[in-house]
Amino acid sequence: MKWFFKKKNEKKSNNTNPPPRNQEVESEPKQVLKRSLQHNIQTLKEALGKSSDIIYREIRIGKEGTIKACLIYTDGLTDTTSLQDFVMETLMFDFKKEDLQTEITLEHDLISILKEVVITVADIKDITSFEEMMTSLLSGDTIFLIDGYDQGLIISSKHWVERGVSEPEAQTVIRGPREGFTENLRVNTAMIRRKFKDPNLWMESKVVGERTKTNIAVVYIKNIANDKIVKEVLLRLDQINIDGILESGNIEELIQDSQLSPFPTVYNTERPDVVAAALLEGRIAILVDGTPFVLIVPALFFQYFQSAEDYYERSIIGSIIRLLRHLAFAISLLAPALFIAITTFHQSMLPPALLISLAAQREGVPFPAFAEALIMEITFEILREAGIRMPRSIGSAMSIVGAFVIGTAAVEAGIISAMMVIVVSITAISSFVSPSYEMAIAVRMLRFVFMALAASFGLFGITIGLIALVLHLCSLRSFGVPYMSPMAPFNLSDQKDTLIVLPKWKMSTRPRLISQKNNVRQQDSASAKPSPPKK
Amino acid sequence: MKKCIFGLLILSLLLSGCWDRRELNQLAITLAIGIDKVEDEYQVSAQVVVPSVVSTTSTGGGTMVTLYSARGETIYEAFRKMTKDSPRKIYPGHTRMLVVGEELAKEGIAESLDLVSRDSELRPDFYVVVAKENTAVNILNVTTPVENIPANKMFNSLKMSDNAWSGTKSIKLDELIEDLVSEGKEAVLTGVEIAGNQEQGSSKQNTESISPSARIRYDNLAVFKGDQLVGWLTEYETIGFSYITDSVQTSVKAISCPNEGKATIEVIQAKSELKGKIKNGKPVVNIKLNVEGDVGSVECKMNLNELKTIHSLEKIYEKEMQDNIKKTIATLQTNYKSDIFGFGEEIHRSNPKEWNTIKNNWEEQFSNLTTNVDVDLKILGTGTIKNSLLEKIKD
Repeated sequence: MKWFFKKKNEKKSNNTNPPPRNQEVESEPKQVLKRSLQHNIQTLKEALGKSSDIIYREIRIGKEGTIKACLIYTDGLTDTTSLQDFVMETLMFDFKKEDLQTEITLEHDLISILKEVVITVADIKDITSFEEMMTSLLSGDTIFLIDGYDQGLIISSKHWVERGVSEPEAQTVIRGPREGFTENLRVNTAMIRRKFKDPNLWMESKVVGERTKTNIAVVYIKNIANDKIVKEVLLRLDQINIDGILESGNIEELIQDSQLSPFPTVYNTERPDVVAAALLEGRIAILVDGTPFVLIVPALFFQYFQSAEDYYERSIIGSIIRLLRHLAFAISLLAPALFIAITTFHQSMLPPALLISLAAQREGVPFPAFAEALIMEITFEILREAGIRMPRSIGSAMSIVGAFVIGTAAVEAGIISAMMVIVVSITAISSFVSPSYEMAIAVRMLRFVFMALAASFGLFGITIGLIALVLHLCSLRSFGVPYMSPMAPFNLSDQKDTLIVLPKWKMSTRPRLISQKNNVRQQDSASAKPSPPKK
Repeated sequence: MKKCIFGLLILSLLLSGCWDRRELNQLAITLAIGIDKVEDEYQVSAQVVVPSVVSTTSTGGGTMVTLYSARGETIYEAFRKMTKDSPRKIYPGHTRMLVVGEELAKEGIAESLDLVSRDSELRPDFYVVVAKENTAVNILNVTTPVENIPANKMFNSLKMSDNAWSGTKSIKLDELIEDLVSEGKEAVLTGVEIAGNQEQGSSKQNTESISPSARIRYDNLAVFKGDQLVGWLTEYETIGFSYITDSVQTSVKAISCPNEGKATIEVIQAKSELKGKIKNGKPVVNIKLNVEGDVGSVECKMNLNELKTIHSLEKIYEKEMQDNIKKTIATLQTNYKSDIFGFGEEIHRSNPKEWNTIKNNWEEQFSNLTTNVDVDLKILGTGTIKNSLLEKIKD
């Protein structure tokens, strides 16, 4: 299959032949500010059109109020209160005082006086180009232009209404921090920074998207993360050439290794503690402005079975729950397929009492087992999808109808056998056990493939499907790291956090293939083991 | 182009799929098979579950099973002819009982066993029994209470009685075939009979009274010589047989008290060892039986607090058991001349050279065989009380 798509891709890229980046931008002459205020405002207005949210506040400053100036800001993105208190008040009221007047000489021009002495705002910058000015203005900063000067000032005044830090909705835990990322990149980086007082935590910024100019931060711990992977991540981010990035999912699609695999190779999370743990293992986090979902690479298969809570519970409990999760994965992938295979091909595998009971339930059911399973699975998928998209207030009505249609009525009408309802239900519940939504979707999709294989070849089909699945999983890589590691290639020391979770004092090394340098977490694991004080 | 052909090849695999697919409601689940011989033809009957009656939601009455029966020159032919009568194909994968009619058993069962051991759908783990003085079809025609599916009733009660009483012998098809083909060992099968009114046995009403008018019951042990039935062992002879062949799991035995009255020994564990040898050119078999048991009940005056009493009980048991075993062996030596114990195998094992000379007239040798029986009982406990209630009442 792979060669098939590869060739197609190559063809496509030959046809379109994308132009090299930045060519478009460079071809336009760079516009710079002129000395005339009127001209500068006019140019801005032409560029921005009739956008009603751009406010031009013309004022006059100086002792006699002779110098014309203009404050330009975007309404809604700017903190107008602090603009009034710290900028307009100083300019229009304090600046008229005598002592400041005298300092204006030829050496100290007005702009630098204003910047250095007058305006009481933390972040302030000079600008000369229109492009830079436009970007700042549209991200919420205030532009200050003075008549007679061919440069202006950017006064930082970003402030907009945003959602506060709240509990993450997708990855809930009983025990563990309740904070989740927000839509604001700065708040998100702060949440990570707050967990590390380490100068080695580096955050590299990037701007992606020609039109959205979305801010992205690549976060890693310098002396743990694998340099090659960091380089690869930065390279892939640089190669993105697109008009807009609205969610980290867009980035994920543009940088992931395998486009056609149902399995995710980039992990995402809403939880700062998960990101922090990943960073400590040597992984790299990609934060995207405007979404609470943070990407983590490299993402391996077994990572999708790890929940933050595994590490906060005692390891024995965590291990059992993780094993349960693997079992649930197998159930949600194979349960309907096994049921179909055994009841239609391998009846002799059933104990006599069970066979008779199943046969009694199927009596009068008009569909073959495969069709029956398909009907139920699709009905369930529709119900699930409706449950997510629907307004919350009608949710209860739907769950009643759903439970009634799926559960009781179909069985009572004799269309579906009771056992099939049980199988589909346990499958559905199992698929919700996965801590990662992406993995659950992948499994849901593959379940139908396995059902078809089971219906046509029985257990042989399932076996062939499993072999193909394992081959596929082993062929995947996430940023150069084998997807199935530490199972394939097998690594004994990394088994401590794969199927089970060993206690913290046993976690003396980092996953070997991910960080590849600075692998030791705690020097002497024997001394790390707690023991009661000796008398 | 190549890709297209490759894709089509993969897709064509799907076309061949499902050829042996059978839904559960296309099967006639057969739990018991009966084979009889009627006028040079085989009569095969299959006890098939009626799923709609088994299902809890249905309100319909009727019996849990139905019986299909057909005749044919061979058993396979008869099986297939059954579809004339049955709406679904007979699925014998879950067969639990194979009942052989006495007539057929007397003629020989080897031919009939060929199909049931050859067919890939049949598992050789079902029990084989002989319908005593009856036909298999009649046995399969009786409804049973408690276990509503007669085949399950037959299966479970044979298993339980073999386990707890040892008066029957549960023999699976593969064990039977092994006994039939092995040198120096003859086959046995438990007999099954109908107690009560056979005519009323097949209706559902049979199970609706506290005491059904017809019951299926195991009794006696069919002795084979070659593949032919030659006679029956009584219940106590069957127990003796079980002890000799080391197939007793638990059992009880009533013995006489030292004075008068009866006591029961509950056998917890029994182990027998057969040793064959040639003494003065004649085969001799030593049977060593080690039994462990408890005093199960005491229905006479006896002071169990004394070790002496326990020892005397052990002695009585050993004596009576020895008699039982000797009587069993004698019956077979004189009446049937059939070595169902596998004494021949023992001689073969211990003296392979001599065996070659005597195996041709083993039947004769067996009937004159000397056996030494040694029984050793260890009483481990007396239950939750020491002396019997009788002791106190009569004082």
